[in-house]
Amino acid sequence: MSSNFTSIVRRISLALSSLRTGIVLVILLGIAASAGTLIMQRPLTDPEMIRQSYSPATLRWFDAFGLTDVFHSRWFVALLGLAGLNMVLASLDRFPQAWRYIARPYRQSDPAFLGTLKLQKQIPIESEEQGIDAAERAFRSIGLKPQQVGSGRHRSLFAERHPCARLAAYVVHASLLLVFAGGITDAVWGYRGYIALSPNQQSNMIEAQGAPKALPFTLRCEGAGQENYADGSPRRWWSKLAVIEGGRVVARKEIAVNEPLVYRGVRFFQSGYGSTGEPGALRLEATLKSGFGAQEIVLHPNETVQLDADATVQLERFVPDFIIEGNQIESRSDQPNNPGIQLLVDSKNSGKTVVWLFPRFPNFAHADQSPYSFKFRDLQMGYFTGLQVAYEPGQWAVWTGFGFAALGLGMAFYFVHLRVWAVPTNDDRGQMLLWVGASASKNREEVEGRFSQLTEKIERNLAGDLDTRDGELAASMVTT
Amino acid sequence: MMRTRIESHPATVGNNLNLLVTLGCAVLLGTAVLASVGRGKLFNQQNLLYVALVFYAAAAVLYLGFGIAGRESHVHFAWLATGVGLLANTLAAANRWYIAGHPPFSSLYETLLTFTLTLAALTLVVELRYGMRLVGTVTMPLAVLSVILMELLPADVHPLAPALQSTWLHVHVTMAMLAYAACAVSFALALMFLIQDRVPTGTFLAWCSAMLVVLYAGILIRADAAGGLAVAAWDPSEGREILFAKHTPLLVIIPGLGAVALLVLAALSVPLALYAFARWKRSDRIQEWANEAFFIAIFFQLVTAVVFMQRLRGGEYPSRQAPGLFTTSPAASPFIIAGLFAGLAVSLLYVMLAWRRPVLERLFPAADRLDRLTYKTISIAFPLLTLMIATGAYWANRTWGAYWSWDPKETWALITWLTYVAYLHMRIARGWRGRRAAYFAIIGFAVVVFTFFGVTYLLPGLHSYA
Repeated sequence: MSSNFTSIVRRISLALSSLRTGIVLVILLGIAASAGTLIMQRPLTDPEMIRQSYSPATLRWFDAFGLTDVFHSRWFVALLGLAGLNMVLASLDRFPQAWRYIARPYRQSDPAFLGTLKLQKQIPIESEEQGIDAAERAFRSIGLKPQQVGSGRHRSLFAERHPCARLAAYVVHASLLLVFAGGITDAVWGYRGYIALSPNQQSNMIEAQGAPKALPFTLRCEGAGQENYADGSPRRWWSKLAVIEGGRVVARKEIAVNEPLVYRGVRFFQSGYGSTGEPGALRLEATLKSGFGAQEIVLHPNETVQLDADATVQLERFVPDFIIEGNQIESRSDQPNNPGIQLLVDSKNSGKTVVWLFPRFPNFAHADQSPYSFKFRDLQMGYFTGLQVAYEPGQWAVWTGFGFAALGLGMAFYFVHLRVWAVPTNDDRGQMLLWVGASASKNREEVEGRFSQLTEKIERNLAGDLDTRDGELAASMVTT
Repeated sequence: MMRTRIESHPATVGNNLNLLVTLGCAVLLGTAVLASVGRGKLFNQQNLLYVALVFYAAAAVLYLGFGIAGRESHVHFAWLATGVGLLANTLAAANRWYIAGHPPFSSLYETLLTFTLTLAALTLVVELRYGMRLVGTVTMPLAVLSVILMELLPADVHPLAPALQSTWLHVHVTMAMLAYAACAVSFALALMFLIQDRVPTGTFLAWCSAMLVVLYAGILIRADAAGGLAVAAWDPSEGREILFAKHTPLLVIIPGLGAVALLVLAALSVPLALYAFARWKRSDRIQEWANEAFFIAIFFQLVTAVVFMQRLRGGEYPSRQAPGLFTTSPAASPFIIAGLFAGLAVSLLYVMLAWRRPVLERLFPAADRLDRLTYKTISIAFPLLTLMIATGAYWANRTWGAYWSWDPKETWALITWLTYVAYLHMRIARGWRGRRAAYFAIIGFAVVVFTFFGVTYLLPGLHSYA
C-alpha cells in the first residue's frame, strides 16, 4: 500500500517537474490572462456597463467560472502556483547534474572521450614537451588559463571559460521565484488604499478596497497645491505631509507625483487634488449698525469669531452654487459660482440672528435683528489632496528578483561555457600527435571560429619552434 | 499583363527602377518643398516626417524590386534610401523632443515615431553588419505603414501629465521599442527561413489570404445589414473626433462601404477555398487558379483602398446616435486605413514570392543560418522584454504605489513574454529547430503587434497615453 502511495507521489512529482507540463502551464496562463483582458473585469468596470454588455445567462456563467475577475480567482492563483511549483521541481530535478558537470569537470581526457567531441583536430608534434608548450602559449594568447593535468608521460592540458553560463537558467528561475514570493507577500500582507485630506486635517483612517482601515499612525496635511501649464492642464500637484505618532511629529515631507513619502514601509503618493465644495476661509467686513468703524474678520467653518465683548459670529451654512428649487435651497454644483453664505450672529441684546449674504448680489438686503451688517470681501474654497496609500513589504523581493533575472538572462544569452582539452597521443603508425578538442554550451558557429583560431595558433607556435626562437619570443612579447 | 512584361524584360525593368524611384522621390519632394515654401515653413516636424515617408517608401519599392529583379544596385540604393529616411526620421524626433520639451515617448504618435526610427536603424544594422540583405523587404513596408499611421494620428503636443514625468518612463519605453523592433526583425528572419526551408508557395498563399480574410472580417465588425460601415465622425475645424459621450466617438454610417469590404472578403476567400480544394484533389492546375484568384483579390483590395479614401474624405453622412449629417476623415479611422495598407503590403510581398521565388532563394542566406539568426534576435529581444516589464513595474510603483495591477497593456506584455518563454524553452531544452521555431517566432510578433496597437484601441486601461 505504502509503495503504491510513494509511486503515485513519484509519478505526480515527475509530471509536475516535466518541461511539457511547464509549457502547458505557460500556454494556459497566457490564455487565462488574455481572457482577463477581453472579458470585462468586475474590479475595473462599472457594474452597470457589465450588465448592459452581457446577457444575464452569459454573465451567470462568467461569474460562476470567475471569468469576470480572472486575476483574483482561485483557479488563476492555482495556475500561477502550479507554474511556480513546476519551476522549482524542474530546477531541483536538473540542478544536481548541472552542478556536478561544472564542479567536477572531466579534465583528464582519454582519446576515447575526445573522439566524441564535435570540435576536434589532430596536430602532428615532435615531442610531448613541445606540443604542450605550444598549446599552453596558444591557450593563453586567446585568454584561456590552461591547467596541467597529470604528470610525466601522461601530461595534458585543460581550460575552461564562463562555467557560470551553465547555471544561468537556474539563476533566472530562482529570481522569478523571488518575484513570485514578493508578489505573494504583498497580496497577503500588503494593502492599498486612498485617503483625502484637507489642509490642517489629520486622520489615520484610509479606505482600502472599499473598507475603512486604520493606520498605525496619523497623517496630517499641512498644505497642498496645484501648478498648471499655460494651457491650464495640471503640471504638478504637491502636498506637505506630517506623520504623527505618539502625539508628536516623527516625519515631514513635501510630496509630489513620483516623489512619495515613506514611513515605516507605508508609502503615500500624490494622486489627485480638488475642491471639497466647502469654504476654506471667508473674509468679511463687519460694521456695527449703530456706529462707525468697520472691522475685518476671517471665518473658518466650525469656528466662532468674537465681534466685540457682547457679540459673536459663526458660519452657519455655505451653499456654493445657490438656487431655490421649489421651496428648498439647493446647490447646482460644488463650484462657488453663486455662493450663499448664512451667518449666525449671537449678541447679548438681540439674541441669535441669521444673516444671509450673497456676494453676487451685494445689494440684496434682508431685514434682520443683527447689531452688525456684513460685507463680503473674499472667499477661498476648501480643497483636498488625494493620496494613494500603499504598503508593499514584498516589493524588495520583486526588485531583487528582477535584478537577478536580468543578470541571469545576460549570463544565459551572452556567455558561452567553453571547455578545451589538449592531449598528446600517438597514432597507429607511431606518429606523435597533439589532440585538441572543445565543447561549448551553445553558439556553435562562433565557437567553431574560435576553435580554428586556437588550432592555427598552436600550429604557428609549433612552426615557430622549428624556425627561430627569437621570432617566437618577439611574438609572445606582442601578445602579452 | 504586368507579369508577362516583367518576365520578358527583366533587365530593362531592373535598370529603370532606380531611375524611376529617384525621379519619384524628386517629384514628390519637389512639389512638397514648393508647397512648404509657399506656406513659409520648411523644416518642421511634419515636413521631415514626409521626407522620411518618401524615402522609406522608396526603400520599400527598391527592396521589392531587388526581390523581383535581383539586381545588386537596387539593394545599394535601398540602403541609401533607408539611411536618408532614418536621418529625416531622427531629425523629426529631435524636433519633436525640442518642441515638446520631453523625449518623444508619451503618446501613440510619439512612440510610433521612436519605433520607426529604431526599426530603420536595426534594419540597417542587420543588413550591413550581418549581411542579411532583404530584411528590409519586410521591415521597410512596416516602417511606411507606421509613418502613414502617424500622419493620421493626432500630432498635437500635449504637456506631460504629472504621472508621466519620470526618467523611468523613458527607460521603460526605450526598452519596449528596442524589444519590439528586435521582435519585428526576428519575424522577418523567420519568414525568410520558411521560404528557404522550402515551405510551398501555396502554403504562403493560404496563410496570406487567411490573414487578409481575418483583417477584412475585423473591418466588417463595424458594418450593418444594409451594407453601410460605421466610422468615427471628424470635426475638420477642430482637427479631432466628434465625441458622442465622454471617450465615445460619434459614429457615422457610410453607405456601401460595408458591402465593398464584404466583396473583398469574398474575393479573398476564393483563393483560400481553391487552395483547400487543390490540396484535396492534389491538383496543380487548381493551385494555379488559386494563385490567379489571389491576384484578382489584390486588384479588389486596391480599388477598395481608393474607394475608402474617397468616401472618407468627402461627403456628409448620417449617424444613428444624433440627427443631422456629419463629415469624417481618414484621420478618424487610422486603424482601418493602416489595415487596408497592411493588407496591400502583405499581398505585394506574396506577389514577390510567387513571381521570383528562385531569385529570393538565391539571395537569402542558408536556412540553418536564418534559423540561428532568428533565435539570436529573439535572445536579444527577450532580455529587453524582461527589462521592459521590470522598468514599467518600477515606474508604476513609484507613481501609483502598485507594481502590477493587471491592466490590459501589462497583461498583454506578460502574454508576449510568456510566448517567448515557451519559444525559448522549446528551443533550448527540447531542441526545437526549423519550422516549428519559425512559426513560434511569427506568433510572437503577432502578439507584439496586438500588445502595441490592439490593446490601445480595443481594450481600455491605465495605459491610455501610449
